[in-house]
Amino acid sequence: MGKAWLRDYIIRRLFYAVIIAWGILTITFILVRVGPTSPADKYLANLAARGEEPAQVIAAIEARYGLDKPIHEQYFSYIGNLVRGDWGWSFSTSMPVVKLIETHWIYSFQLILFSTILAALIGILIGMYSAVRQYSKTDYIATFFSFIGISIPNFWLGVMLILLFSVKLGLFKTYYDTGIPLLSLANLKQLILPVITLSTGMMAGYTRYTRSAMLDNLRKDFVRTARAKGLPERVVIGKHVFRNAVLPLVTIIMFDLGSIVFGGAYLTEIVFGIPGLGRISFNAIFADDYAVVVAVTLISAFLILLINLATDIAYAYLDPRIRYD
Amino acid sequence: MTKKGIKRIAGKFGGIKNLILILLAALWLLTLLVDTLVAGRIFTPLGYLYLALGIVFLIYVAWPLYTSRRLVGYYWQRVKVNRLAVVGLVFILFLILLALIGPLFTPDPTAANFEEKNTPPVGLSIEESIYNAETGQFVTKVVNGTWGHPLGTDNKGRDLLAMIISGAGVSLQVGLLATGIAVALGTFIGVASAYLGGKVDNILMRFTDIMMTFPFFLLLVFIVFIFGPSLAFIVLVIGLTGWTGVARLIRSETLSLRTREFISAAKALGASDGRIILAHLIPNVVSLIVVIATLSIPGVILAEAALSFIGLGDPAVTSWGMVLRAGQQSLDTTWWVAVAPGVMLFFTVLAFNFVGDGLRDAFDPRSSV
Repeated sequence: MGKAWLRDYIIRRLFYAVIIAWGILTITFILVRVGPTSPADKYLANLAARGEEPAQVIAAIEARYGLDKPIHEQYFSYIGNLVRGDWGWSFSTSMPVVKLIETHWIYSFQLILFSTILAALIGILIGMYSAVRQYSKTDYIATFFSFIGISIPNFWLGVMLILLFSVKLGLFKTYYDTGIPLLSLANLKQLILPVITLSTGMMAGYTRYTRSAMLDNLRKDFVRTARAKGLPERVVIGKHVFRNAVLPLVTIIMFDLGSIVFGGAYLTEIVFGIPGLGRISFNAIFADDYAVVVAVTLISAFLILLINLATDIAYAYLDPRIRYD
Repeated sequence: MTKKGIKRIAGKFGGIKNLILILLAALWLLTLLVDTLVAGRIFTPLGYLYLALGIVFLIYVAWPLYTSRRLVGYYWQRVKVNRLAVVGLVFILFLILLALIGPLFTPDPTAANFEEKNTPPVGLSIEESIYNAETGQFVTKVVNGTWGHPLGTDNKGRDLLAMIISGAGVSLQVGLLATGIAVALGTFIGVASAYLGGKVDNILMRFTDIMMTFPFFLLLVFIVFIFGPSLAFIVLVIGLTGWTGVARLIRSETLSLRTREFISAAKALGASDGRIILAHLIPNVVSLIVVIATLSIPGVILAEAALSFIGLGDPAVTSWGMVLRAGQQSLDTTWWVAVAPGVMLFFTVLAFNFVGDGLRDAFDPRSSV
């Protein structure tokens, strides 16, 4: 088995990734340009609101944003700046956007990390159990709760958890405290409610996916053969069925990370006041701070691009049955 | 014009149904043009969306359903077996009735009345500290829920029931309209991509990849932030960004249909690409479209609710997300304001999920999850 096709495949995937990255940059550029107000307008309005004279700085700002240049030059300088790592200036926090993101990404990361691990562990376990004992009482209960889990709006769940555990019972603080060091038990404690909020929907989704993937494989011929050979049920389920079900699951978990989890984390951070990327984007919206909103959207899209790329390549390595031509 | 003449012209457009569709679409465009050029509105922006989707609905859903009543009866028998799907359907019908009739019996959801603020729902009572100006002291008073405000009021004295009913209307409008746009667009792109293949397929699918790489909700937030919130615009944006998943599914389904014999037969008989797509391919993916549409509605409703919740909703209408936002800000006093809209959202989403699952099982018993 030659590895040449794999190399070609990776090169092609990288090429596609570059095209997609270019598409993402272009679409955001067009949206910002076509929008009824330009970043400079909002900046000027902000200055005027503070009682400063916009006329004095108008030329400087136009030069800063390159608005006096023709549109294609603006486009190239926009992409050039982003590639060079100049993501603009956040005037509401008075620091470069890159710096702002450097100080805040860790809060989003810890939330998403803990939630995904918790959801994947519990979801896959319940899903496996549910599939092995199909149509049992446990299966019905698991299916019922997974229906509830995928239907419950996560931002509302967060508000309800705060109402019950923080306001009524007083077990937790109503707000995330940034004074607590990240690597401490107290930080873990204040992450409990946000992690439950974010992981409930994911957990329900993974339960359903695992259950159906396991059921698909349980009906296959090789499972019957394995049982006929007299292998213990533990080995049949753990090795033959689960190993075949797990690869599509990984893809789904990775895909979810992009499409659902980032949006969910955005809302969870807003509900609990966690100062991650979602929260800074939320604050920037109300300060009309363009650069930050653009940056958070771009970063999430690029992260998803990388995650998808990594998943695809890992998939090609791990599953010998797959051939892409 | 003679009957034969009409038939001949209609034949060029792929049948009488498509001719009607094209004429209606032209009429719609014309009114839109007149509306934008001439001062004084004919319809609101939302009205145009309703009209456009109404046309598509009549031709692609209502008319086929009417002409194949026997088949509909058969599928209804199969959906009926699924108790949860029926319950979900009943709840959705109840919600539609609530949104249509409710506003006639409830007060204005935006009318503040500070005399009656912080009233709990019927059957509950809370203790409230009230400042007495004469004695200069706080007096604890028990406030009981009244039938005047069955679900209570918020901290501005607005009637919660009225707000919930208004929110039901907003959620249904957004859910149905935006899903309609997304599904129509996704179907068109998916079918065109699979049927035309080659370069078109490549370009359309790369574009789909780009759109899918944006996290859906963050893209929504980004666009609404730039262009400003209005309900019609939010509907349009959700519709124009939410088609990617639909396009992928429809494409893979069409790819397997494309090689089937009836398509070759239609081609051999000299049917045009447009006719094959509209008259042969799309009718064959309708059951899939119906299932996808039903299962997409919850996501769309939640997206709008989340937008209003973070303060990017249309400020002119009272939606569930907005009520929830108000509720979170006064969680320690009027907690019921935060509970009610979420409960409604939850049951609405659950109902559409139940119905969608029921429909999928009815159309394809093999793919039960």
